[in-house]
Amino acid sequence: MAGNQNSGGANGGPQYSPMNVSATGGAGQSGQAKPNYRGFKYGENKKLAEQAGGARMATAPTPPPAPQVPAGQAPQGGNDMSSLQGLLSGITPINAEGTDTSVPVSHGVDFGRGAGSEVLPNSLNSDRRQIENVDLIKRYMPDLINASRVQGAPDSYKRFVNFLKSQVI
Amino acid sequence: MQWMENTFFDHLDKFSNSLGYENFGVAFCLSTVGWKSTEERDTFIRSITGADPKGGE
Repeated sequence: MAGNQNSGGANGGPQYSPMNVSATGGAGQSGQAKPNYRGFKYGENKKLAEQAGGARMATAPTPPPAPQVPAGQAPQGGNDMSSLQGLLSGITPINAEGTDTSVPVSHGVDFGRGAGSEVLPNSLNSDRRQIENVDLIKRYMPDLINASRVQGAPDSYKRFVNFLKSQVI
Repeated sequence: MQWMENTFFDHLDKFSNSLGYENFGVAFCLSTVGWKSTEERDTFIRSITGADPKGGE
């Protein structure tokens, strides 16, 4: 008898079972599938196999390095908190002394040294709510005036309409 | 045509005089609310101003 009956050819091992599927998506020996191309023209099978073998799978991205915690200081609340503390440590408080001593850092704010918000340009200082109210008055003024002429309209309402007229004019 | 209570203009009179003329925008919006009654509206005014409703006189 020449050789073992298991030598050569398929031996019926688990790799031949169609039900043998890796739950993790296939952790093969090489980590990359090597398709066995057959049936193409002469020479193309080998070329395709070489192309498949030469292509490298994308490697998993490496996680960013963890921020360094000073010796003797325990991390507080994990990486997010320590990075936030590092970020906040570089902020200059609004009442801190500035490098430009000619203009206080609170210039343009309604507290502290320097001028108040009156020095700000109108684009930053306008009362948008007031503008919206005036638009509203203009739109409904005819109806509001007509209602003030209705019999039994209270004087308080008429005074209010007069006030609105003064706002529009 | 007669002035009627529990209408938009009646609400506007009460809200504008209770909240102040300068808050016309808020008074206008609150006047568009479908108040079930003038009592419900006046209760609301009392709750946000802490005083009895003004207007109507």
